[in-house]
This record gives sequence, C-alpha cells and structure tokens, in this order.
Amino acid sequence: MDIRLNSRAAAVFEKVTKVYQGRWPSRRVTALDEVSFAIPWGEVFGLIGPNRAGKTTLVKILLSICRPTDGRIMRLGCAWSDRSTLAEIGYVHENPSFSRYLSAWQVMEGYGRLSGVTGGSLRRRTGELLAQVGLADRSHEAIAQFSKGMLQRLALAQALVNDPKLLVLDEPSEGMDMSARQLLHDVICQRRLRGYSVILVSHALADVERLCDRVAVLRDGRLALVGRVADLAPHAASAEPHSLECAVASLYEGALA
Amino acid sequence: MKHSHVTATLAWLVRDTFRQSISQGIFAVLLVISLLSIAVCLSLGVSGPTTLAQGDEKPDFVSRRDADAKDAAKLSTSGVTVADGKLTLAFGAIDVPLARDTKSGVQFLELVLAGGVADTLGLMLTLIWTAGFLPSFLEGRNICVLLAKPAPRWVLIFGKYLGVLTFVLVQALIFVGGTWTAIGLRTGFWDPTYLLCIPLLLLHFSIFFGVSVLLAVCTGNAVVCVFGSIVFWCVAWSMNFGRHALFTSTDLVSETIRSSYLSSLISFGYWVLPKPADLGMLLFNALGAGSHFGKLLDLETLEAHGFSMTLSVLSSLAFAGYVLFASARKFQVTDY
Repeated sequence: MDIRLNSRAAAVFEKVTKVYQGRWPSRRVTALDEVSFAIPWGEVFGLIGPNRAGKTTLVKILLSICRPTDGRIMRLGCAWSDRSTLAEIGYVHENPSFSRYLSAWQVMEGYGRLSGVTGGSLRRRTGELLAQVGLADRSHEAIAQFSKGMLQRLALAQALVNDPKLLVLDEPSEGMDMSARQLLHDVICQRRLRGYSVILVSHALADVERLCDRVAVLRDGRLALVGRVADLAPHAASAEPHSLECAVASLYEGALA
Repeated sequence: MKHSHVTATLAWLVRDTFRQSISQGIFAVLLVISLLSIAVCLSLGVSGPTTLAQGDEKPDFVSRRDADAKDAAKLSTSGVTVADGKLTLAFGAIDVPLARDTKSGVQFLELVLAGGVADTLGLMLTLIWTAGFLPSFLEGRNICVLLAKPAPRWVLIFGKYLGVLTFVLVQALIFVGGTWTAIGLRTGFWDPTYLLCIPLLLLHFSIFFGVSVLLAVCTGNAVVCVFGSIVFWCVAWSMNFGRHALFTSTDLVSETIRSSYLSSLISFGYWVLPKPADLGMLLFNALGAGSHFGKLLDLETLEAHGFSMTLSVLSSLAFAGYVLFASARKFQVTDY
C-alpha cells in the first residue's frame, strides 16, 4: 500500500475561506467561510447543500483549480501546494467538456499522460475503462457527436485512468441513464472496497444516502452540518425513502434556489 | 513532476494543437496556399542573360523599351547590353518581360514570396486564425480538468504556445522549402538566403503570438486576442519605423524633436517594444531588396545613431520572453 494511504486523512480542510474579489470592493463574494472538516481514508464522503453553497468552490480549492483566500488544506497527507499529489486524484467536472476534435481514445491518452500514466499501461487501462463505461465501440469517433450521457461516461473513465486514491465526483450522475448510474454506483463501491476515498458532490440525496459513509452540508459558504449518514438518517437502511432529505430539509429552507 | 512527464505533456499539447488546426481547417487552408505557390513556381521559366554585371560592378544595361535599345549601332559602340530576358508563368502561357537580368528577376520573385506572401499575408492570417486556440483551450469546463492534473500550469501554457509555433514552423518549411526547391528546379538559381526567412518568420510570429497568449490568459476572448495583437503589431511597427525615420531625417521638425526630451521617450519606446520593421529590414536586406525598391531606411545612417541589428533582434526576443513569462505568471494565479 502507498505510504500516503497510511496517513490519517485523504483530505483535510482547516478554516478554509474563499472570497471572490470583484473589480470593485462592493463586489466581494464570500464563497466559503472558515470551513473545517476531514475526510478519512476509505470513506465515501458526500458534499451536499443548496445551490451556491460553495460545494464546487471547495472541490476546486482541493484540486488547486482555484486558491483559498485563507486556511489550510492537506491533500493525500501532503501540503496543498504539492501538485504531485494530483497524480493520485481523479476528477469528474459537474459539466464535462473536452476538445470536440478529439476522440474518446485521444482524450484518455492525453489526460492519462497528464496524470503521469504512459506507455503500455496507459493503452491497456484506456481499453479497459472505455469498455467498462460502454464506449469501446465508439472510441475512435470525434466526441463532437457524443451525447451528454456519453460525455459523462467518458469523464468518469478519464478520472479513473490513473487508478486514483481519491476520486472527486462533482454532480457526476446528471444526464446519465439508469445503466450509467448503476455503473457509477459500482465504481464508487469498488473504490471503497479497495480502501480509497471518494468525494461525491450531489443534489441527488437518495444517491448520497445510499452510497456515502459521511456527509457534510454546506450552506451560504459555511459548514452547516457534518456527520455519519447513519446518524443523520437513522432509517437509511430501512424501507423509509429519502430519510436524509428529511433530516437536512431544514438546512435547505430559505437558501438561494 | 518528472522531466519525462513534462516532456510527455509538452509533446501531447503540440500534437493537440495540430489536431485543433486540422479540425478547424486552418492546416488545410495554409497548405493549399503553400501548394498553389509551389505550383506557380513549378510552372516558372526564365530566359535571357544570367547576369549583366561583372564581378562587383553595377549592372549596366538598358531596358528593351528604351529608345536606345533599338539603335544597334549605338549599342555596339557603347558596350551597353539590352535586358531582353523574360519570365514565364503557367508553363509559358504568360510572358513577363524582364527589365533586368534573370538572376535579379528570380530574386525579385523570391522577395515577393518571402516579404509579401509569407511575412505579411501569411503572418497576419496565421495570427488571426490561431488567436482562437488559447481561448478555447482555457474555456472554463475544459481547463478545470486539465488544472486538476499534476502538470504545472506554466507547462500547459508553454505547451500550447510551443504547439502553435511548431505548426507555424511546419507551414513555413512547406511554403519556403517548397517554393525554394521549385524555383531552383525550374531556373537553376539556388539562393540560400531565401531560406533565412524561415527563422525570421518564426521569430516575427513568436513575438506577436506571445502578445495574443497574454491577452488570452487575461481575457479569454478570441476577438480581443485577434484585434489586440494586430493593434499591438501596428503600434510596435509605427514606433520602430517612426524612431528610425526621426533619426535619419534631416528636416527641421525632426531635428527639433531629436534635441528635445521626446527623443528619449521615443528611444525608450523603441527599445521596450518588439521591432517588426527591423525584422522586415533584416529579411529585405538579406534578399537584396534595395536593388528593386530602393531603400526605405538607410542602414549606415541608422548605425551612426547607435542602431545595432543584433541588439534589435535580441531585445525583440527579450520582449517575447517577458510576455510569455507574464502570461505564465498570470495563468498561475488565476482562479477557474
């Protein structure tokens, strides 16, 4: 097992604050306000909250896509500034987009190389993953002809190309059909079984309830709640539907739609 | 990130740029222009005296249209030659009478191809067509996934810049190499100085594409990149040409400006900005343009006023380097 898996958490956020600075001082927007929590290894962690709660900003900060205004972030046991840890992370964007002139195979090849996977292992992994997401027979077509669901499948495949220790999924199931959703659920369960972590950002609370071990609720950039799904929704394992939704409903009320 | 990963990332970005140029049809359009130019050169023919000058002496000839050219007695006693050669196009279908020797005629054609087609039309078209490459690469959803990879941000920007430069180099090699070979095969003149326009074109393009990259990182807008880099080229050219004109002119206004503080300001602007007119002058001098068009600027007078072509090229290169560094720095601190 990788030495980094022995450190205590896959991700740690300590008083993370993000203020988007507009052109004028009055345009300052606080997207995150002193958010603190940790995601242990082997855990599927749900990040939920109403629109504009700061979920995507938090994910982007974790992935070095944007910088925190204040606070401390640890990623795979290393400092946030260490970009080499990104080689062990996979990311599915909420609205995936790739250069339209590339084929699915070229996307996998390119993004694999950027993650440090090369040669025969890259080709083997590309073939396996494209088959797994059901795009093997269309792997050499330009993705300009792909539907949104197919792009979501491709986004999932590229996120797995480096066999990541931490998989970050931002609204991954939007536009996916039933079989693709099942595939996504299988992937998440397999990651957990292997002791890897998954961060799932989603509005589909039923999926979060079914798949996640713990969940954090963000609202207006603040951490409103963090805890085990079993504690928040004690009837999750029973036949009662959407118990997590009932448990966090009050936190959604009055928030920006 | 290991060096091998940086190299692999750069190689992928260069290949990605070629795929982008092919998918957008830019590669094909420039290739067609090159092939047409090569076809024109392959249909070329020249006849007439190879050179009318002996050794270092100036060519001494009269045009066939000159009244004296029809006076055989006068010609035989004076020793002056009549330039009666011709250049043919489309395998002899079109005749162009030459008012000079054939070598000089071919040089003139190369000058038109290098200075007019490649360095002006080709450069502008490529600058306009490639200006959209960076903004589409930096488009929010696309770039987010790339930024979540371990490759340093500067590698992404530099890789795309390198990709476009490689694309331009390939096109320049096809155009210049192809026309040079075709002209050589058809006329027997193999002037190696014509090949100098490959590095000069690349240098010229690299400077102004650097400005386009900086605008793309700052605004993410293709229209701003196109107009911004062209306006900047015009400003830099005006500053460059204006400074030289000021220092070589002998009129009263120029002398007054030269003696005022404006002179220092213009010199400062000249040294800070890239120098497209100097790069053009370098190319034109190499191709002997002075004998066809006369001299726009007198190099000897300029050198007397502290002008150095080496320093000019080096300072233009330094500007390109600084702009690229500034782009990488801006990209490094931009949130997506």
